[in-house]
Amino acid sequence: MPKRQKQRRIIDTDIHERVTYSDLLPYLDNPWRRYIEDNHWVQEKHMPYTQPTVAGVDRADAVTPDGGAAGTDLRFMQEQLLDAEGHEYGILSGALDPSPSSMHGWYEMGAALASAYNDWQIENWLEKDSRLYGSVHIAAQDPQQAVREIERVGPHPKMVQILLPIDTRSWGDPYYHPIYEAAERHNLSIGMHHNEPPTHFGGWPRYFIEWHTMLPTAHMIEVSNMVFNGVFDKFPGLHLIMIEGGFTHVPHLMKKMDQQYKELRHEIPWVKRMPSRIIQDHVRFTTQPVEELSQREFMQFVDQMGSEDMICFATDYPHWDYDSPLQALPKLDAALEEKIYSENARAAYPKLPRPTGGAK
Amino acid sequence: MREVVCHKEDIHPGKMRSATLGKIPVVVCRTKDGEFYAFANRCLHQGAPLSEGVLCGDTKRTDIHGNYEYIKDGEILRCPWHALEYDIKNDGAMLAEPDKKLRSFQVTIEDDQVVVYK
Ligand code: FES
Repeated sequence: MPKRQKQRRIIDTDIHERVTYSDLLPYLDNPWRRYIEDNHWVQEKHMPYTQPTVAGVDRADAVTPDGGAAGTDLRFMQEQLLDAEGHEYGILSGALDPSPSSMHGWYEMGAALASAYNDWQIENWLEKDSRLYGSVHIAAQDPQQAVREIERVGPHPKMVQILLPIDTRSWGDPYYHPIYEAAERHNLSIGMHHNEPPTHFGGWPRYFIEWHTMLPTAHMIEVSNMVFNGVFDKFPGLHLIMIEGGFTHVPHLMKKMDQQYKELRHEIPWVKRMPSRIIQDHVRFTTQPVEELSQREFMQFVDQMGSEDMICFATDYPHWDYDSPLQALPKLDAALEEKIYSENARAAYPKLPRPTGGAK
Repeated sequence: MREVVCHKEDIHPGKMRSATLGKIPVVVCRTKDGEFYAFANRCLHQGAPLSEGVLCGDTKRTDIHGNYEYIKDGEILRCPWHALEYDIKNDGAMLAEPDKKLRSFQVTIEDDQVVVYK
């Protein structure tokens, strides 16, 4: 039963469905399948700590009824999230863990996994719940191969973005621009979500609390890199959604980039507008994990961003730092709430259906 | 108001269970020394059901970097979502901000039954 106290449309910009290798095997060709079955291949992991919470990365109450890992069961996700909170739409940003684009070698395996994941996601999630929209997974280390995968599954009506991990690579480099060209061609946005980035310059911090606190720095590096490498000048229709870094770092980043642009713009003559303007026009930031903010504090950040269009609500279900649609944000005025909970995301994902009629 | 929750052996030391007191969801916790405590089953942060979390311990405050001493095992209620912690023997005070407290309820054992009162 939806527990709507308020009639609010919710477009949730970060929901993690989860795959297991055994789910993926039927979608993999050989030799890839045999490398997992026979050679017990698993993806590389780097993080030296665990999340010191009740159930690791997950909400402890999101374990599925038959004891499966959180995010593996559509029925339970419907019950605990989509129906309970009354979602209009949700964007799946599951990714393998880590993403195929995070692999440091054997990109062919990454590409095979990405294709299998896309087929699995379409069949088991996107085509089973009308509210769920998906992310095209690629192995971006090889942009030509990645473009072929975007051509293959990007036209699916429920694929709305291409997912890139925030990790050790910065994706603004012209080497990766064929990916953005393909994104524009298929009306897909670019979603970036961190995987396991060591926060730069300090490398891996000693404790998880430091890593989790400093995640926005990894997001800032990507935004700066995309803007100063001219991605948005070259692809004027491109939308970038920065997922799970929050938004309170954004006013600082915009101000800093503008100042640097005034002083150093001759180094990057392909960037033709003030960086803050480019960010306002092209980049969106998801709320979660949101700090506890009063309405006044919240509005100070919005004022400094100079736009009400840049913040999109996200739960990050089923992870431990899940944000509740009714509890996480302070009360805001109705027009701004409508933007943050749904309309900003709708504008950032051109393939999402336009609203029909009045409030649900 | 009074509610019989269960037989006292139904909650083992170091475990907890959810119940209701009238319309109020409560969580009844049993510490390792066998005592019972009851609180509103709703996290003060974003309202998660605390009974889905875990009863665990704390790491003792220290001046020595790298020194870990695990204390209060079974006396700390950790939320299933963002892991905020409450000290159940200290009136449900939040460890990070002790002036915030869970609403607590009186618990008695009557004929081996756990009874919660408001
Ligand atoms: S809801 Fe309990 S810690 Fe956030």
